[in-house]
Amino acid sequence: MFRSLSPAIRAALLTLIVGMVCMLLAPYLGWLQKWPASMTLPATEWIGAAVTWLVELIKPLARWGAWLLSYPMGWAAFILIETPYPLVIAAITALGWHLGGPGMALGVLAGLCFVLFSGYWVQGMTTLSLVMVSVPLALFAGLVTGIVAYRMPALRRPIQVMLDVMQTVPTFAYLTPLLLLLGFGPVVGLIASAIYSAPPMARNVLLGLQRVDPEIRDAALMNGANSWQQLILVELPAASRQMLVGMNQSIMAALSMVIIAAVIGGFDDIGWAVLLTMRKADFGNSLIAGMVIVVFAIMIDRLSSRLAEPRGGHSRKVIWGLLGAGAVMAVLAARWLPAASEIDIFAPLAERTNSALGQFTANHGATLNAIRNNAMIYLLLPLRIGLDHAIVPVMWGFGWTSAMALGYFGAAAALAGWLAWRGQILAALMLLTAAGVVKLGIAHLPWPFVLFAAGALGWVASGWRLALTAVTLLGLILIMGLWEPAMLSVYLSGTAVLICTVLGGAIGLLSAVSPAVWRVVRPVCDLLQTVPLFVFLIPVLMFFQIGEFSALLAICAYAIVPMIRYTHQGLSSTPEELVEAALASGANSWAIMTEVRAPYAAPTILLGLNQTILYAFSMLVIAALIGTTDLGQQVYLALGQGDVGLGVAAGAAMAMLAWVADRLVQAFAEEKRAALGL
Amino acid sequence: MKTAKATVLVAMAGLFATPLAAAELGAVDEPIKLAVNEWTGQHITTLIAGHMLKEAGYKVEYITAGYQNMWPAMAEGDLDAAVEVWESNVPQGYYQLRDGGRLEDLGALGLDAREGFVYPAYMEEQCPGLPDWQALAACAANFATVETLPQGRLVDYPGEWGTPGADRMAALNLPFKAIPAGSEGALVAEFKAAQSQKTPLLAVFWQPHWAITAFDLKFTKLPEGTEACYADASAGPNPDVTGDCDFLPTRVFKAAWPGLKEKWPAAHEILTNLQLSVEQQQPLMGAVDVDGRPAEQVVAEWVAANESAWRPIVDAAIR
Amino acid sequence: MIQDRPAPAGAPAISCRGVWQVFGVNARASLDLALGETGGDTAATARLLRQRGLIPAVQDITFDVAEGEVFVIMGLSGSGKSTLIRTIARLIDGTAGEIRIAGEDILTADARRLLALRRDKLGMVFQHFGLFPHMTVAENVAFPLKMQGMGPEQRRARALEVLELVSLKGREDSFPRQLSGGQQQRVGIARSLAVNPDLWFLDEPFSALDPLIRRQLQDEFLSIQADLGKTSVFITHDISEALKIADRIAIMRDGVLVQIGTPDDIVLNPVNDYVREFTRDVPKGRHAHVETIMTLPASLPRMPDDPGLRANMTIDSALAACMSLYQPVPVWGANGEIAGVVKPSDLASALTPDEL
Ligand SMILES: Nc1ncnc2c1ncn2[C@@H]1O[C@H](COP(=O)(O)OP(=O)(O)OP(=O)(O)O)[C@@H](O)[C@H]1O
Ligand SMILES: [Mg+2]
Repeated sequence: MFRSLSPAIRAALLTLIVGMVCMLLAPYLGWLQKWPASMTLPATEWIGAAVTWLVELIKPLARWGAWLLSYPMGWAAFILIETPYPLVIAAITALGWHLGGPGMALGVLAGLCFVLFSGYWVQGMTTLSLVMVSVPLALFAGLVTGIVAYRMPALRRPIQVMLDVMQTVPTFAYLTPLLLLLGFGPVVGLIASAIYSAPPMARNVLLGLQRVDPEIRDAALMNGANSWQQLILVELPAASRQMLVGMNQSIMAALSMVIIAAVIGGFDDIGWAVLLTMRKADFGNSLIAGMVIVVFAIMIDRLSSRLAEPRGGHSRKVIWGLLGAGAVMAVLAARWLPAASEIDIFAPLAERTNSALGQFTANHGATLNAIRNNAMIYLLLPLRIGLDHAIVPVMWGFGWTSAMALGYFGAAAALAGWLAWRGQILAALMLLTAAGVVKLGIAHLPWPFVLFAAGALGWVASGWRLALTAVTLLGLILIMGLWEPAMLSVYLSGTAVLICTVLGGAIGLLSAVSPAVWRVVRPVCDLLQTVPLFVFLIPVLMFFQIGEFSALLAICAYAIVPMIRYTHQGLSSTPEELVEAALASGANSWAIMTEVRAPYAAPTILLGLNQTILYAFSMLVIAALIGTTDLGQQVYLALGQGDVGLGVAAGAAMAMLAWVADRLVQAFAEEKRAALGL
Repeated sequence: MKTAKATVLVAMAGLFATPLAAAELGAVDEPIKLAVNEWTGQHITTLIAGHMLKEAGYKVEYITAGYQNMWPAMAEGDLDAAVEVWESNVPQGYYQLRDGGRLEDLGALGLDAREGFVYPAYMEEQCPGLPDWQALAACAANFATVETLPQGRLVDYPGEWGTPGADRMAALNLPFKAIPAGSEGALVAEFKAAQSQKTPLLAVFWQPHWAITAFDLKFTKLPEGTEACYADASAGPNPDVTGDCDFLPTRVFKAAWPGLKEKWPAAHEILTNLQLSVEQQQPLMGAVDVDGRPAEQVVAEWVAANESAWRPIVDAAIR
Repeated sequence: MIQDRPAPAGAPAISCRGVWQVFGVNARASLDLALGETGGDTAATARLLRQRGLIPAVQDITFDVAEGEVFVIMGLSGSGKSTLIRTIARLIDGTAGEIRIAGEDILTADARRLLALRRDKLGMVFQHFGLFPHMTVAENVAFPLKMQGMGPEQRRARALEVLELVSLKGREDSFPRQLSGGQQQRVGIARSLAVNPDLWFLDEPFSALDPLIRRQLQDEFLSIQADLGKTSVFITHDISEALKIADRIAIMRDGVLVQIGTPDDIVLNPVNDYVREFTRDVPKGRHAHVETIMTLPASLPRMPDDPGLRANMTIDSALAACMSLYQPVPVWGANGEIAGVVKPSDLASALTPDEL
């Protein structure tokens, strides 16, 4: 009987049974919901000792490397800061002209003028000097890693795992070890940003090389190229488009890390400026400082993407003219122009932004409060602590009684019965499980149930290997004693992912249907992804105060972007002939959306979901600045206490959660993709 | 012959003079690296200290440094001194390094810092009886939010600074739930938002801080904080626990790399003797944070106008 | 300088002995094991390998290609043709067997020797052209010369020369994507000719082209072949193409060589239905020659009629010459002597469908 059921149903049934047993026993066996401290391995201590040992071991080498790197950075900073700003602006504008002609030159000029007028010229140039060293470093490391992974298939898997780790472990978690390793100073930020920004390059190099037509490779060999010539003359150029994508993403990642590097300090850069303004909750100025980073990101991105394209002969004269004009201005600057640090044209603007924000908060305080309270009462609290704890008279007007529990489960059972009768056994079982989860609350879920459910999902999605990996990783978190903050993280990120999926999916759908909507949504998405996230914490805090709801919003603001983008992209890139075939069969636009576009877009949308999950977890650290008690907060605690082990362990736990969630979704996506034959 | 004798004399004088001067100033060619942390008060103190060192003949380099992260760097001599360290939020790592002899405590700054529960002044209407702490028990519901119901809400320090708010509330048996603020910015944003809507707010905060005047914050009067209260359960209103009283005054002090004394003896002396009071610092902070003027300018004016406040310390060290 | 094709003689240009190419993990060990288990039987070994999840793409193949010969390989899609020539060119390492090029063992050649061979001796035209997308037509064609270390000006001059040979003059600075499929294929051919290779591999060079261009390129191929006298290994699906250009044809099926023979052999004496199926629609009279069906009896019969048949006449034209005759007629060789005897009725029955 049991054997005749499909694997998915079997797994769901077992999960449900485990869940029910746990729920019944939980009141009697406290250790089901709370891992006993006596069973917790002092893993963080071990990790701390191991990391410290390792740091001591390679410290001399690392210090030497840091010393070496401080030179190019010093030079870059010296050139950018000591050179009079008119000359710097003229030179970079000339570069823009050389690479992209008048349009590019104008864009660059406008961007640099913004930086100058913002009053953050010196800080901006300091940041630029960091980026000028860290980006090439990251690109080079990524290139080499990608090539090694490509040329040595045996190393490919370990390298991919390493890249995953580099991208998912929050940087804050390894700042302390890096600091011990490299010594105090900007090099720490440089290396941290290089670590974070190298993986996209490595991945894209590998992908690009793998996608080179095998026949082209053979052709190179048959024409007498040796393996280096094959790589350099044929494969790398043929993969250049993909590599450019990687380069762009690496640059964006490097710039997004500028802020994090500033947490260490040692460098009076734009990240430091954002931190200082953030500390004062000065939204106007932090937005301006943040926009400086955005301007850099856009400028470097546009300039670098031009590198690979053939250049039309833009007149040399203009370049010399620009440089000459810059030099003349620089000479004059000594006398007439104000020093860069004295320009602060946007100060009134910042002031106005701040007062507008205050005004808005004052005028709409009641509405904002109502939004927050309703979300808390009816969504967040029940999800976190469960219905029985959340439904109390002060909030709902009535309390949770056993009669209600009976009714609740009765209704769930009835609905499930109906579903089962309709043949939807899997859906019925999942409904019952979900009912149990909501009753208990995510933060109070018994750990055996979570482990079992993750294993079952992994098994159904992909097989024993994934199941085993998922259970092992979650088990590690458990015995490290990080279960409680980890479940809070799951609750926060999970809820955020849920909201982002629904809302982001809807916005993406709307954008796909209406180009007008997309025109509005797109720049907002761009802004959300490039402005340092710290900046947004301030308005969120002003509107909704410290607490989960604000943290949730902050996470959503960032994590919703990929969902929107990928949904839009997937839905609007359906091949025209498919749409035409549907039209010819008499489908209306709704039918085309649901019958043709949506199924076709499913894999793309799933990829978006996967990104949303990773983003949601990576935002936990930032959200902790609002005030949370999850793993993100543990990372700061570790930072504050100089507890290397806790920092690394909490960072690793976050990476593990993200990794498990990501793999589960990907495994299901893979199945879906295979079913669609894509 | 005469000239030769004079030369010898000069040389001898040099012989005596040089070691004496060197013993006092030390390596004047190398800059002393002062840490610049994330808050304005610290910038002001550091700029004043830097000015004094320069007057004594030193080179000074200001290095921005994360307060939480900079201690190992100072232990290795990458930073030479931090002149405004708050006991209330200095990370654990500092104590470990200090106890291991790798950091040196240069003594108190003289900044009488105060920590406590603050509320915006308008709360005195909404919760009669304030600033007395016992009023809080009665109007806890006023401070409640959905997350804390039925208790009142207290915004506590960021988690990594410890949980003094939660500890006090528990010891005093007040029906408040402490919510950790994630950062100083979060605390300030709370004040801003509360001020603009006139909503209730109770938070753990400190003085000197520009926000105290900017948002008209008042300290709650708690039972007097004494050493005894923290050591002996019977002291204070709650006979069962310790710490059932006001925060002890926070010690604000100066810390340095232990090599400072040997390398720049006079600088060590200057920094050890450096003193700055709340009355001196607070107006400068206001000029920077409220009026938006650059800290360098504000400090330059102050040191010019208040020579008497710092010159004697410098002179004593290099004489 | 048109020459007759040299007769197959001397050391073979290519010699394959028992070549295996097996795809999968531990291919070599698995093959050895399977061969041991089956006592060396090819079919049984292949079956065993498939059962174990490996792909025996080329199985125990033995043949020689003579100097100057055009050797055509045919077979259904997936029968292992590309794999075979990739193995011979050692783009992939053979799993077992011996391959010699001009007497030299290619499987044991070290990397340097291989490089030298490819730079000077071998040329290949790829099924999907294999053009470098980031190089212009001229750069593509000059690439092998660059690898030989030739200077830029000489390279370009030589590239233009070869491009003229394939009628692509004037397009040398286009990028491959700007050319039509047929033009791209000609670039591929030009590139493979740039270093004037002795041994020329062509993997379905004309398959992607329309019939007109295909015929045109076949003619170009034949004239180049005639001009330069290369040894060619040519893969095609198209029997009429094979018959048109081949000196010999090898037919592959599922990795096995089914038959090797001259075009006439293949057309007239297919060894099994698989081969017969290939030649089914071939108008045999137009391809087979009289010599393939004539006999040379010990004593010549009395032959009253002499329509003047020659040994290298196609059967169609021979039949046209002796439509009304019934007696055996003489067949004259190139040297002017009687080369054999053929019965007009045999000429006719050679053309009737095989099934009957
Ligand atoms: N690298 C490889 N790995 C595994 N199997 C391969 C590989 N290359 C070829 N094969 C398999 O070997 C068999 C022969 O392939 P091959 O490309 O030689 O066929 P072909 O005769 O050239 O076909 P076509 O006419 O379609 O080009 C096929 O079954 C193919 O799937
Ligand atoms: Mg093929």
